[in-house]
Amino acid sequence: MAARRVGVSSWYRVLSLSRRCGRCSSTNTALGKTVENSEGAQEEIVLPRRKTWDKLAVLQTLASTVKRDPTAAHYMFHDDPYLMPKNSATARLFSLSKESGRNAAKYIIKEFPHFFDKILAEPNIPSLMPEICTPQIEGVSEEALRERINLRMVKASVDLFDQLLQAGTSISLETTNSLLDLLCFYGDGESTQEKESEEKEDLEESEVNASEQETPKRPPQRGSHPFASRWRENNNAERIFKIMPERNAHSYCTMIRGMVKHGASAKAYDMYTELLNDRHKADVHTFNALITAVPFLKDRFLERWELIKMFLNHMAQQEVQPNVQTFNAVLKTLRRCGGVGRSMAVPVIKEMEALEIEPSLATYDHLLSIFYRSADLASSGIISEVLDDVEKRSFTPQDPDDAKFFISAMQVCCDLKDIKLAYRLNKAVEKGDNWKFLDMDRLNSYWSRFFSLLCMMEQIDVVLKWYKEMSPSLFYPSPKNILDFLQALDAANHLEMIPSVWEDMKQLGFSKRRDLLEEVLSLMSRDQHPEEIQLAFAKCAEDIKTVHEQSGRDQASVEWTGSALGSVTVLFSRAGRTQDAWSMMERFQQINRIPTDLVMDEFLNCAKQTNSPDEAIKLVKLAASLGLPSSQKLKSRVEKEFKLSENQKKALESIQSDSDSSDSDSDSDRD
Amino acid sequence: MWRFTAFEALLGPEDYNPDVTLPVHSSGAGRNAVARNARRSSRSRPAALKGRRGCERRAEGAMWGRLCGSGRILLLAGAARHCGRPHRTQKLFSTSSVLSATEDEPTAPTDSTTKVASKEGAAETPKQKLLKMIGDMKVEVTTKRKFQQLKEQEIKKQATNKQEGLHGGSSTFQNSAEDVQRSKPLNPELVQAASAVASSFPHNKEQAESELLAQLRRHEETTDKQRRGGTINICNVISEMTVKRQSPAQRGVRISNRISLEMDEDGQRIKPGRPSSHSDSGRSLKAGKRLNIFTKASPETENALKTVSSPTIWDLEFAKEIAAVTEQPPRNGFEEMIQWTKEGILWEFPIDNEAGMDDGAEFHEHIFLEKHLKDFPKQGPIRHFMELVICGLSKNPYLSVKQKIEHIEWFRNYFEEKKEFLQEI
Repeated sequence: MAARRVGVSSWYRVLSLSRRCGRCSSTNTALGKTVENSEGAQEEIVLPRRKTWDKLAVLQTLASTVKRDPTAAHYMFHDDPYLMPKNSATARLFSLSKESGRNAAKYIIKEFPHFFDKILAEPNIPSLMPEICTPQIEGVSEEALRERINLRMVKASVDLFDQLLQAGTSISLETTNSLLDLLCFYGDGESTQEKESEEKEDLEESEVNASEQETPKRPPQRGSHPFASRWRENNNAERIFKIMPERNAHSYCTMIRGMVKHGASAKAYDMYTELLNDRHKADVHTFNALITAVPFLKDRFLERWELIKMFLNHMAQQEVQPNVQTFNAVLKTLRRCGGVGRSMAVPVIKEMEALEIEPSLATYDHLLSIFYRSADLASSGIISEVLDDVEKRSFTPQDPDDAKFFISAMQVCCDLKDIKLAYRLNKAVEKGDNWKFLDMDRLNSYWSRFFSLLCMMEQIDVVLKWYKEMSPSLFYPSPKNILDFLQALDAANHLEMIPSVWEDMKQLGFSKRRDLLEEVLSLMSRDQHPEEIQLAFAKCAEDIKTVHEQSGRDQASVEWTGSALGSVTVLFSRAGRTQDAWSMMERFQQINRIPTDLVMDEFLNCAKQTNSPDEAIKLVKLAASLGLPSSQKLKSRVEKEFKLSENQKKALESIQSDSDSSDSDSDSDRD
Repeated sequence: MWRFTAFEALLGPEDYNPDVTLPVHSSGAGRNAVARNARRSSRSRPAALKGRRGCERRAEGAMWGRLCGSGRILLLAGAARHCGRPHRTQKLFSTSSVLSATEDEPTAPTDSTTKVASKEGAAETPKQKLLKMIGDMKVEVTTKRKFQQLKEQEIKKQATNKQEGLHGGSSTFQNSAEDVQRSKPLNPELVQAASAVASSFPHNKEQAESELLAQLRRHEETTDKQRRGGTINICNVISEMTVKRQSPAQRGVRISNRISLEMDEDGQRIKPGRPSSHSDSGRSLKAGKRLNIFTKASPETENALKTVSSPTIWDLEFAKEIAAVTEQPPRNGFEEMIQWTKEGILWEFPIDNEAGMDDGAEFHEHIFLEKHLKDFPKQGPIRHFMELVICGLSKNPYLSVKQKIEHIEWFRNYFEEKKEFLQEI
């Protein structure tokens, strides 16, 4: 009895424990029962099950507490402060190099396994171990063939197949089919491991491109490269297909898919007719492939549509249920059918609805591109209906084209200049896991479009808020974004912001972009501002000046243009920095440019303010030496507005006589 | 091939202009362009005629003899199609112009008038300059700023009108009585061309000429009317009002305006007059019929379809591709740890002392060991001893349940073996 009492009391302790962590529903039900029972009679005690935690639960909870830091670059760049990206180009480069470093390490382990002999761990962690890529089964047998197919060794499989065939062994249909799968997927038998390692680099790049994180565990996939290898006449797949003693629907289907994938559309169509002649049925993937091949089979829009309809009808006849990829393929083909596409897209969508197939994001992407191909079809009807649908649902990826939706939708918003739609779209992006559809490159172009639209349509303070919120952490502005931003600042009369924008430009590495420099300078020098701002502008101008003048090291410096020089001079003059302004004036002569009247007037004003008649006289000299018609006017201004000493008056007089003479350069130099 | 020679002769061999074919496919506006081309190119007519009249007369006569009604100009253009290379230029034109009806005019004259001017000399140069200027105005169409674009279109339109006015003003060849009757005179070159053609007729020269001119004027008028219709459309776009009623003429011009937009990635041009393009503003995803090809599958058949064999390489790769769509690099340290956990290269959280020694036993099996004491005496020192043993075992975290039971088993066997001795005691 004593023991029982101990047991029961410890049992109660457990209960109170489990009550405290009342998250697990299964414990809760068990708990309810036991409480009831202990109160009632001595019935059987239902013991609570052991609570199993999701291995990710803790981490997920913790991760959800971390918010994006708008001032920081993406987490993947945090390792090394030296490798913090400055703009989208470097961000792309660094992320790619990180991934390629990983792949390089894997490659080394794979190529030189004998250097890594201390790979035993206790407990053993299989996922850290290098993969076995060499076949284990020796000899010529169907087993060995199957293993090589599973290891995706294209050439070895084909060789083994031939050997088996020569030996007179019959190979099962299933194995032959999977060999066909392999051959059709990779396009041709010639792709060997060696060739793959050659191709590795560019493949990886595109792979990383498609998804930053995808680490290729197998030999590089050709899936993302539809044109990496073309279907060749009488390649191994065709050869094996021809000598197959019996073929089933799968053999035909995989051939068709391979041909479509590798650009042999006409052959695929012929193969499809052969399949029909052999009284087989195609599967849904094959039909999907055939529908995507339609634009290559027919040239005229109506014929294309007729062919699509034929395939769909065949599907219905062969009792193949379409899936969302089928309709995506139809719409994708309709994209290339002009007006027919526009008129048939809606019935296709209706058909999907009737079959209760939920559209994926790719469906909407195709729709948008069908209806908004040309920018002047300005009606926001379709896109707002699409957004209605998108807002209602959360999406899981179903089609490789899904990722394109948000970008093209934002592009449509930009084309329509509809900021409200853009906000709605952005809400949809932020909803749930939708943000995951935008990988790094896409994210950048999405935000850069959004930002341009904001600059164009929004109040400046809203623009600034967005800018602060997203600038380094979500995207790196493109030069065009900066131009738009500058224009927005101009439109809102917030030019005093320009120095800070200039700082950002330097940060982004745009300080040598001539178009941006010109824009910044012309905006700063256009109007007169309060003194404080003028001082800041002058500082900015000095920066720009050093950009123009720093030479050597790695790149050529930016060439001065006349207008840039003029603007810098004006900015210095307005800030009262006479000496700097004069040095700019001299530069005009050096690069054989002519200052405008405005520039010279501003300089004269400056000289007057700082009471430096010498500079004023120098200016007149300069003007005279350049033979400018305004030199007379300047001279009279100097005479009137400045208190000149005798010497200075003389100097001024001498300029007069010089400029009268036709050749003034040498004379003024002598003075 | 007599048609070809006739046409070539009419234009002068080097003077023929590929863009003549542009209107072949299009309706109102395009036809206008043919007229314009005819009128432009025929400036060189007198020069060409003088040298070649003799040889070409027969052919021309045959050609014009076969023409009738409004088919004339089109046939003329059709002849041009035989000349080989028009298609490229045609593409070029239609992609560059947003509104082909209005914009053809500023662009087209530049090239042809240059050629003409070289023949006709200095008299034409001021006009040519102006034309060029107007032509240049066109270039600045940015797709980015819609409103600006619209404004530019308006300007262009004015420019076009001006240009035409100028044509009228500078004309010195206006001789037919019809011109006075109409408010807007025909282009002098056109008139000249017509008279030139008519003069090559053996009989009824005047009648032929006036017929030609009347036909051309008809084109001119319809174009004008439709162009005004086009303006209305633009206004509607500006005010973002939907147009409920449209006259067939307006619709026609809208469609022909669109033709240039119906180009597709493979350079195909769809037939004009397809009614789809004008109803875009009213299009909705909600309204419309379905295709009615498929029937919804019943759940059983759906299930039947799902029993497929093992995944092929296609399925695997497709799954990978799909997964890649939403793959994202980790955004913070925790997400990175999640990723590592998924890859199996990180200790699982919460970290406990049983990691790696999971025997699948529940905690109560570890703690409540009384049930294993059934075979022992109910009381006495052995029972007491065993109770102490299981108490100890229940607190021992290092042994698995199996080991604990084995431990108790050992004692059971032990006491069983020593039973005799114990009973002796």
